[in-house]
Amino acid sequence: MTPMNFPLPNVVPLIPEMFVAVMAMVVLMWDLFLPKERKHWNGYLAIVTCIVAGVLTMNVATAESVSAFYGFFVLDPFAAYAKLLIYAGTALAIIISLDYMKDEFGVGEYYTLMLFGMLGMMLMASAPNFVTMYLGLELMALCTYVLVGFQRDVLRSSEASLKYFILGSLASGILLYGISFLYGVTGSFDFAEVGAGLAHSGSGARFAVLLGLVFVVSGLAFKISMAPFHMWTPDAYEGAPTPVTAYMSVAPKVAGFVILIRVLADALPSLQVEYVTIFTWMAVLTMAVGNLAAIAQRNIKRMLAYSTIGHVGFIILGVIAGNVAGYAGVLVYMTVYLFMNMGIFAVIVLMRRDGIQGELLDDFAGLAKVRPGYALAMGLYLFSLAGIPFLGGFWAKYVVFIAVIEAGHLYLAIIALVFAVVGAFYYLRVVKYIYFDDKRVDFNFVENRLMQATVVVTAIAVVAIGIYPDPVINICKAAVSGII
Amino acid sequence: MIELGFFYLFSGLAVVSALGVVLSRNTVHSVISLIFCFFNAAALFFLLDAEFIGIILILVYVGAVMVLFMFVVMMLEVNFAGLREGMLQYLPVGGLVALVLFIEIVAAAGSGVFSPTGIPDPGHAAQHVNNTVEIGKLLYTKYLLGFEIAAIVLLVALVGAVVLTLRVRKDAKYQNISKQVNVNPDDRMRKVKM
Repeated sequence: MTPMNFPLPNVVPLIPEMFVAVMAMVVLMWDLFLPKERKHWNGYLAIVTCIVAGVLTMNVATAESVSAFYGFFVLDPFAAYAKLLIYAGTALAIIISLDYMKDEFGVGEYYTLMLFGMLGMMLMASAPNFVTMYLGLELMALCTYVLVGFQRDVLRSSEASLKYFILGSLASGILLYGISFLYGVTGSFDFAEVGAGLAHSGSGARFAVLLGLVFVVSGLAFKISMAPFHMWTPDAYEGAPTPVTAYMSVAPKVAGFVILIRVLADALPSLQVEYVTIFTWMAVLTMAVGNLAAIAQRNIKRMLAYSTIGHVGFIILGVIAGNVAGYAGVLVYMTVYLFMNMGIFAVIVLMRRDGIQGELLDDFAGLAKVRPGYALAMGLYLFSLAGIPFLGGFWAKYVVFIAVIEAGHLYLAIIALVFAVVGAFYYLRVVKYIYFDDKRVDFNFVENRLMQATVVVTAIAVVAIGIYPDPVINICKAAVSGII
Repeated sequence: MIELGFFYLFSGLAVVSALGVVLSRNTVHSVISLIFCFFNAAALFFLLDAEFIGIILILVYVGAVMVLFMFVVMMLEVNFAGLREGMLQYLPVGGLVALVLFIEIVAAAGSGVFSPTGIPDPGHAAQHVNNTVEIGKLLYTKYLLGFEIAAIVLLVALVGAVVLTLRVRKDAKYQNISKQVNVNPDDRMRKVKM
C-alpha cells in the first residue's frame, strides 16, 4: 500500500467546538477527583467554558462566511450570533442548576451532558449539509433525553424522558427518510448543491421532492415543537428537572430555528411556495394550540411549555416572511425570549421549598408582599412575554409581524395579533396572583447570589431592549444579511 | 439475469421476515425473524459490491445488537400480549396513515427519478478495488468531521446509559474489604477470666 497524503483541514473555525468538546470531557474526568461537597465546582467550570467559548467564537468569526472540513462546517455571522445565544442559554441554565442539582447523584455527568448538548447545538448552527445537521441534532437530542430523565427516582421525570425519547426517535427517523428522498433526487447532502439540484429537477421528480420536503419539515418541526408535532413538549417540560426545562426551552430552539432557516433558504428555495403554505397552516395551528391550551394549565411549567409553543408560532412568521427582516426577526425574538424565559425559570427555582419548587400557579400568590424584587422581575418578564409595549417582548413581536406584512401575509399578522391578545390573558393572570392575591403557602427561598444576579441581569436586559431595541435589531440584520 | 434473480430472492425474503417480526406472537420468533431480515439486507449489500458494509451489518447487528435483544426479550419477560390489546382500537387510524404513506412512496418511487435512467447503474467495481480501504480513505478525509461527531455521540450514549442506570443505594449493606482485612484480633475477641 502506498502512503497517503492527508491534507489537514482548516480547523480554525472549529476552535470553539473543539474547546467545548475537550472541556466537557475535562468536567467528566474532574468530577471523579472532587470531594462530594465540592461537586458544584463542575458547574462553575462549565459556566467558564461557555464564557470562554463565547470569547473564542467572537475571535474566530469573520464578516464573511468561512467553510471548513470539505464543506461540512460553515462559520458565518448568522452561525456566530446563534452560537452566542446558545452559550448564553446554556450558561444561564447551568447557573440555575447550581443549587438545584447540588444534592443529586452524578452532578458531574449532568454538566458534561449539558456541555455536549451545547456542542450539538453549535454544530447544528454551523451545519451547511445534512450530515452535520443530523449528527448535531442527535448529539443535542441524546443529551436532552438523558437530562430530562435525570431524576430517575421521580416517576414523572422518567416517564417524560421515555416519551420524549420515543417520539424524538420517530421524528429523527422521519427526518432521515425525508433527507434520503432529497439525496435520491439530487445526489448530494450539501444544502447548496441540493438547492441547485432541486431547481433543475424535472417535473418527474416533483412527487419525490415534495415527499422529502414534507418529511424534512415534519422532522424539524418536532424539534422546535410546532403543532401538530408539539405533543411531547408539555410532558417533557413538566417532568424534567426545572433547570433542564429552562435549558430545553431556549438554546435547542435557537439551534432548531437556525437549521430550519438554513435548510429552507439554501436547500429548498425552489419549493418556497409549497413550504410557505405548509408553514402558514402550521403557524396558525401552533399559535392556537399554544395560546389556548396555556389558559387551562395550573402548573407553571406546563403553562410555560404551551407558552413556548405559542411563541414558536409567532417566531415561525419570520421564517414564512423569508426576507432579511423576517430572519432577523427570528434572531431578535430568540434573543429577547432567552432573557424572559431564563429569568422566569430562575425565579421558579429560587422559590424552592422542601424540595418542591414553586410549580403551581397558586404558589406565586402573594409573592409581591414577601419579595417585591422577585415580584417586580416576574412582572417584567410576564408583561414582556405578553408583548406589552416598551418591553423587549413587544419589539420581538413587532419585528416579525412587520416582516410578515412586508412579505404580503397581512392576514397572518392579524391572526397572530389576535392570539397574542389571548396569550396576554394567561400571563397577566400570573401577575394578578403575584400582586393581588394573598399568600397561600409559606415561601422558603433559595439564597444564591449567582441566581439572584441572573434575575437582575435578565430583567434589566428585558427593559433595556424594550427601551432601546435598535442595536439588537441591527446586529441581527447584519448577521442574517449574508444568508439570502 | 442471475443477479436480478438473487435480488428478488433476497429482497422478497427480507420483506417476508420483516412481516414475521411484526406479526409473530412469540417475541423470540420476532427476534429470529429480525436476524434473518438483517442477513438478507447484508446479502443485498453484497450484490451492490459493498461487502464491507454487508459484513459489518452481520457482525455488529446480528452479532452484538440482536444478541442483546435476545437477552432483553428472554430476561425481562415483557407482557407483549398486554401491549397488543389496543391494536384493534388504533388500527383504523394507523392503517390509514400507513396506506397514505404507502401510496405516496409508491408514487414517488414510480415517478421516474429512481429508475435506471434517473440513477445510472454504477456497474461493478474492478477486482482490485478494496471496499474497506476506500471507505477508510473517505471516512478519514472528507467525512472526518461527521466521523468525529459520531464518536462524541457514542460517548454521550455511554455516559447517558451510566447516568440513567447507576444508582448508589444508601440502604444497601456493603462489605468493606479493607476494613475487614485491617481488623485487629483484639477488636473481635475478648478474653474473659472465668
